[in-house]
Amino acid sequence: MEAEVLLKLHHLHLELSNGTALLEDVSLNVRRGDALGVVGESGSGKSLTAMSVMGLLPGLRASGSIRFEGRELLGLKDREWRRLRGAGMAMIFQDPMTAFLPVRSIGAQIDEQIRLHERVSRREARARTVALLGRMGVPDPEAAAKRYPHQLSGGLRQRAMIAMALSCGPALLIADEPTTALDVTVQAQILTLLCEIRDSGAGVMLITHDMGVVAQTCTHVAVVYSGLVVEQGPVAAVMARPLHPYTQALLEAIPPLDGPRPDALPTIPGRPSAPDARPEGCVFAPRCRFVRPDCAVRPALREVEEGRRVACVLYDA
Amino acid sequence: MTILLEAKNLSKHYSLARGETLRAVSDVSLAVHRGEALALVGESGCGKSTLGRTLIGLGAPSSGEVFFDGERISGLSDRALRRWRPRMQMVFQDSSSTFNPRRTIGDTLAEPMRIHGRAGIAERIRMLLEQVGLSSSVLSRYPHEFSGGQRQRLNIARALMLGPDLLVADEPTSALDVSVQAQIVNLLRDLRNSLGVACVFISHDLAVVRQMADRIAVMYLGRIVEEGDVLAVLEAPAHPYTRALLNAVPRPDRPLPPPLKGDVPSPIHPPQGCAFHTRCPLAQPRCSQERPELRPVGEGRTVACHYPLL
Repeated sequence: MEAEVLLKLHHLHLELSNGTALLEDVSLNVRRGDALGVVGESGSGKSLTAMSVMGLLPGLRASGSIRFEGRELLGLKDREWRRLRGAGMAMIFQDPMTAFLPVRSIGAQIDEQIRLHERVSRREARARTVALLGRMGVPDPEAAAKRYPHQLSGGLRQRAMIAMALSCGPALLIADEPTTALDVTVQAQILTLLCEIRDSGAGVMLITHDMGVVAQTCTHVAVVYSGLVVEQGPVAAVMARPLHPYTQALLEAIPPLDGPRPDALPTIPGRPSAPDARPEGCVFAPRCRFVRPDCAVRPALREVEEGRRVACVLYDA
Repeated sequence: MTILLEAKNLSKHYSLARGETLRAVSDVSLAVHRGEALALVGESGCGKSTLGRTLIGLGAPSSGEVFFDGERISGLSDRALRRWRPRMQMVFQDSSSTFNPRRTIGDTLAEPMRIHGRAGIAERIRMLLEQVGLSSSVLSRYPHEFSGGQRQRLNIARALMLGPDLLVADEPTSALDVSVQAQIVNLLRDLRNSLGVACVFISHDLAVVRQMADRIAVMYLGRIVEEGDVLAVLEAPAHPYTRALLNAVPRPDRPLPPPLKGDVPSPIHPPQGCAFHTRCPLAQPRCSQERPELRPVGEGRTVACHYPLL
C-alpha cells in the first residue's frame, strides 16, 4: 500500500512566529487515482494545509512531515521547490482572474510554464498548450490561446487554469475552492473534468466548504475544524454515516432539496474559536450537543473502523 | 391575499458603446402578495439582481410599469419616490461593504429613522436587535468587530428599522458558511412569520430558496422561464432549464449528473427563438426560430417552453 501513497502529511504542525498554532497534528494521505476532499468552514485551516504542501507559507514555523513521492518537503530550498512546483505538483485557485496575469494571453502564460520546466521550442510549447486546452474542453483552443484572461468566461478561465496546472504533467493537483466563484451548471462541468483527471491516475486534493462537492468528486474526505482533522475516511461511508458531531451538524445544516420542508434548519450554535483561544480539550466541545466532562481532554484521531478515523470521545471503546 | 407589488412588462436595457444594447431584463411581469416570499433564481447575468433593484425603484425601467400597493411608482422622480422608500427596503449580500466602517452600529441603525424624521429610535433599535438575536451591547461597536453572520443580522435589522412592507434580499446568505447560513435562513423565516413582511429573495441557491420562499421565478437571460409554487416547481420542474439547474446542485446524497454544455450566452447577443435552445438537451428545430411565451401549466404555474416537461 505504501508504494502508491503520493502525498503523506504526518503530524504536520504549523504556527505563527508568536507561537499561536494554526494547524495541529494534521495527518493525511493522497494516493494516485484518489481525490481527497479537505472540507471545513472559513478559518478552519483547509487552505493553509494546501498551501503548506505547495511550500507557499513564508514566515510560518512548520514541524512534522510532508512527504511527496517519498521525499521530505519540509526544509527544501527555494530552488528545489521551484523545480517541484508545476512539474511534480500544481495548484489551481478559486479566482482564475487573479491567478492569470491580465496583460498576457493565456496561451503565452501556459507556454512559459512548459518552457521553464522543459527544453522545448516555442512552437512545440504552443502545440502542447493548444492540445491541453482542447483536452480541457475549451472550444477552438488555438484561438482561445491567443485571448487574454478577461476575454474568457469564468468557466473557460478555470479550464485554462487547469490546463496550465496540468501542462507539465504533475502527479498531484491541488484545487483550492476551484468552483466557488462559478454558477452551478458550470461548476458541474469543472467537477466532471476533475473527476476525469483523477481517473487518469493523478492524485487530487480538493479544498472546499461544500459537502455536496466533496461527495460528488472525491474518493476520500478529511473534515477540518479549527486547525485539526476531526474525521476522515472514504467519502461514501462518511456521507452515509458521519461519526463526528461536527460532520453530522455540517451535513444537517444543508437545506433539503426534496421531501418535507422543516420549519427550522438544524444549526450549529456559536462559532469556531480563534487559533489563540482554542480550548485545551476537544476543539468542537463548546458547540457540541453531546458535550460531556471527558471532552476536557483533547481526543486523539483514532481508527474506529477499517479506513475511518475520528477524534471524539463518543467512540472511545 | 392582496397584491403588494406588481410589475407589468418590465424591461431594463443598457446602451453600450458601438450602438449595442445589453438586455438585462426583458418583458417581465410578476406580482408579490402581502406577506408572500417570492424567489428570483438563475445564474450570474440572468438579470435577477437588476430586476430586484428595478422593482423597488433603484434605477428606472427602460419600459414597463411597477405598482406598489396599487399606485404606480415607476417613472416617479427621486423626490416623489422618497415617500415610498420606507415601505420597501433592501438587504445586500456582502455585509462588510454595506456598513460605514467608521460609524458605530448604533449610529448606522438609527440613520433610516433620522432621515425620515421618526421618533422613538432607541426603543425601536432595542426591539429589533432582540428580534435578530443580538444584545444592545453591539451599539457602541464598529462593523469590523462582528463576524459575517452577526453583520448579516445587523444588516437585516437596519432594513427593518422603518417597518417596511417589502424586503428585497439579494443573496443574503451566499457569503456565509453553511452553519451560519442555516441560522440566517431560520431568522429570515421567523421574521417573515412574526412581522408579516413580504420578501423578494434573489438567490442562485435552490436549496436555500426552497427553505425560504413561497413562490419561485426562474430567470434565464433576462426573462422569466418558469414560475410557480416553490415546492411544486422543484418537485417537478416544467422547464428543461429549471431541471438542469436543479440537477447541477451538488448534494451529498446523489452522484454528479452529466452537466449542461456550454456557458450562458451573452445578453448583448441573445440567441434567436428560445434563449435556452443553445444548451437545451431537448431542443427541437422550432426552438431556434420561435420564442415561447409564458403560458399556464397546472395550478398557479407558468412556463415558457414549446415542449415542457409537464
